[in-house]
Amino acid sequence: MNNRLKVLRAERDWSQQHLADALGVSRQSVNAIETGRFDPSLPLAFRIADIFALPIEQIFLRD
Amino acid sequence: MSRSNRNPAYRRYMWRSLLISTAYIATILLAVWAIPDNAPTAPAYLPFALLPGIIIGGWVWAMARLLVELQDEYLRFLEVQKILVATGVTLAWTGAWGVAELFLPHLPKVPVFFVFPAWCLGLVVGQLVVRIRFGADGGCP
Repeated sequence: MNNRLKVLRAERDWSQQHLADALGVSRQSVNAIETGRFDPSLPLAFRIADIFALPIEQIFLRD
Repeated sequence: MSRSNRNPAYRRYMWRSLLISTAYIATILLAVWAIPDNAPTAPAYLPFALLPGIIIGGWVWAMARLLVELQDEYLRFLEVQKILVATGVTLAWTGAWGVAELFLPHLPKVPVFFVFPAWCLGLVVGQLVVRIRFGADGGCP
């Protein structure tokens, strides 16, 4: 699954650590999701959507 | 030490492992002290002989608690990957060696108590696999 996490984070000038702290996960997790090595669970994907105030389908895209 | 090692679940795991390791060494020393060499198989020695083995169950419990307490799903995923690799390596090695022992009488017999240390070594292999596949370590070996 592709995602726009890196772009959205850059637009807000957030570091990976900042986003990780906001989500309550490790920076490793954010990095793994951004680079496509790990697909988050639905609850975490919804938390990410809430933080960016965007619908989930505008962050996570089908392959 | 990586940032994930500051995760409370990893800290608790490290403390539990330290306590269990201390208890394991203590019970091994107790068994060596209490059971004379060439002692007969007697009920009186049974608790001393079984106690270290029971404590090995404590390590398994500590690892299970780590998986339960890790709130970060990616770190939990990495730990599960390591455990799967360790289990696969151990089952493959012990299975293959056991069959080889049947057909090669001069092959050294591997005592069963080596299975758990082999599994722990498998966790190190798992750590390497995780590092290569995901470029990350998780939090503990």
